[in-house]
Amino acid sequence: MKKTSVIAAMFCLAVAATTAMAASEHPGKESIEKSGYKGPETCEECHPGTAKAFLDTVHWKHASKVTNVDGLDPKKEYGMKNRVYVMCNGNDIVNNLKEIPKSPVTGKSKFTGCNTCHPGNHLSDVGSTGPEAEAAIDCLVCHSSDYDFRQRKAFKNEKGQVVMGQDRSTKAALSINKPTVKNCMTCHEAAGGGVIVKRGFSFTKDTDAHAAKGMVCADCHKAKHHKIPTGLDPNNWANDGVLISCADTSCHGTKPHKDADLNRHCAKIACQTCHIPRTGGAFAKDFTVWEQTPDKFYEPTTLKKEANETIPVYAWYNGTVKNTAHFIGPKGSRKDGKSKITPFKIFQGKAYYNKQTGELLSMDFAPPMSDGDTRAGVLSAAKTLGLKNPEKIAKEAVPGWQTIYFGSNHLVTKSKALFCSNCHAPNGVLGFKDLGYSDKEIVKLTSPELYMEKVAKKQKEEW
Amino acid sequence: MKKAVSVMVLVAIAAIGLLCFSGAAMADEIKMVGVITKIEIAGKDANTATATLKDNKTESLIVITVNDDLTLDKFKDHRIVEGDEIRCKYEVIDGKNVSKLFRKTAGC
Repeated sequence: MKKTSVIAAMFCLAVAATTAMAASEHPGKESIEKSGYKGPETCEECHPGTAKAFLDTVHWKHASKVTNVDGLDPKKEYGMKNRVYVMCNGNDIVNNLKEIPKSPVTGKSKFTGCNTCHPGNHLSDVGSTGPEAEAAIDCLVCHSSDYDFRQRKAFKNEKGQVVMGQDRSTKAALSINKPTVKNCMTCHEAAGGGVIVKRGFSFTKDTDAHAAKGMVCADCHKAKHHKIPTGLDPNNWANDGVLISCADTSCHGTKPHKDADLNRHCAKIACQTCHIPRTGGAFAKDFTVWEQTPDKFYEPTTLKKEANETIPVYAWYNGTVKNTAHFIGPKGSRKDGKSKITPFKIFQGKAYYNKQTGELLSMDFAPPMSDGDTRAGVLSAAKTLGLKNPEKIAKEAVPGWQTIYFGSNHLVTKSKALFCSNCHAPNGVLGFKDLGYSDKEIVKLTSPELYMEKVAKKQKEEW
Repeated sequence: MKKAVSVMVLVAIAAIGLLCFSGAAMADEIKMVGVITKIEIAGKDANTATATLKDNKTESLIVITVNDDLTLDKFKDHRIVEGDEIRCKYEVIDGKNVSKLFRKTAGC
């Protein structure tokens, strides 16, 4: 009997191992080896219609209709393509990938622009459609684990057009798979002007409990037809219409803790509040003053910290967003029945405002990157957008600040999660007064009476 | 005799103090920003590499030993190449400048 069990177990292991190996091996390699890789048309042999469908995703359009943000036209699309805010003051339109003017110091130029991460070839750019756009998709930059990034550089073709190169080698195509953390982070880690600037997180086993378990981005952001589920980050507007949630039944469910008291918290407290107690990245930028870098080009003045080095702020959030020229952040209240206390990464940026209308102006980075002239960047953007009297707008533009609440949804921890006393104590992290609690309620909320008996019992069990 | 013992104790304390201090100094993190002039890595399976950085402030060449998987991977697929500007923190360990942070300064 014992021997039979051992043989059965070994058989099961062998089947599991074979299945795992087969799962990691993408079919079609023989065909690619034989015929070579010709871009999306090769992928389309097994995935017909995928290229056309991909053109309707946020990764290609950098925009979508947005229904939860104040002041937006529900019929128009918004995103990196056209937004104006102070983390990125430019966008794909005004700060399109191009060769910037030569530095007056070195005489050198370089290619730069907001859409350098767009998975096209720049000739077919953000939001383009049709057969040419379908053929321009860089499938392998997201799906190959052996992509040669020396190929993905901007250059000028024989017509003088700026083209983004791609690695379309058979070698890269033979390493296709579900996107790894590396594939995603190639673009997402350096957004906003450098590594860990915009979102403020790294996804490694040292910084995130999900990464420590060997999970990859696509395990939570589980795409269907290249539509990527995302959360309701107040500053991440464009979306593919699919929401991600920790409470999904395939993940943690609505009662994730063994302790009923902790589960009761889930009704009013977002998971992130306890399980993401730190944030990081840029906390302030000044687009009106650019600093000269050692290569004699200029960059916006940026203050930043590493992942897990800054503390979030907490606010009630019901998934809708206040959006003004000086503030982008969560809406919600204790009493609306929908809001939860949620942590946010606070960012403040200084940029130019239109003196006449008070609107935040955008900037083409090419002029200031070359010689530090930020008003020239405002002028160029105003011209590109067809604003009336662009010279007057740029000359009179007024510097001002905008505060942005970024969602804090990564850097997940179990072992360093907030404990009872982190919140339920005088000077606790949540700031009950600002969250709308009365003095009488705060006295109760900040007393160990709430947890004394339970924690004492647990402490006795542990020691 | 008493005086000799006191001197020996003082010398011993000073020696221990010096050792502790120099140990701490060697473990200090040094920060720099510089451009990569050379990357040496022995193939796809390498678990260490060296990168020579030209310090932006002093213009001196600093050879950095890189052991972390994330950066090694970026060398292997050429996400980090010669000419890139790097923000680096390193510690001097056994005479080598061992990288603790190695990041491109650029972003989009």
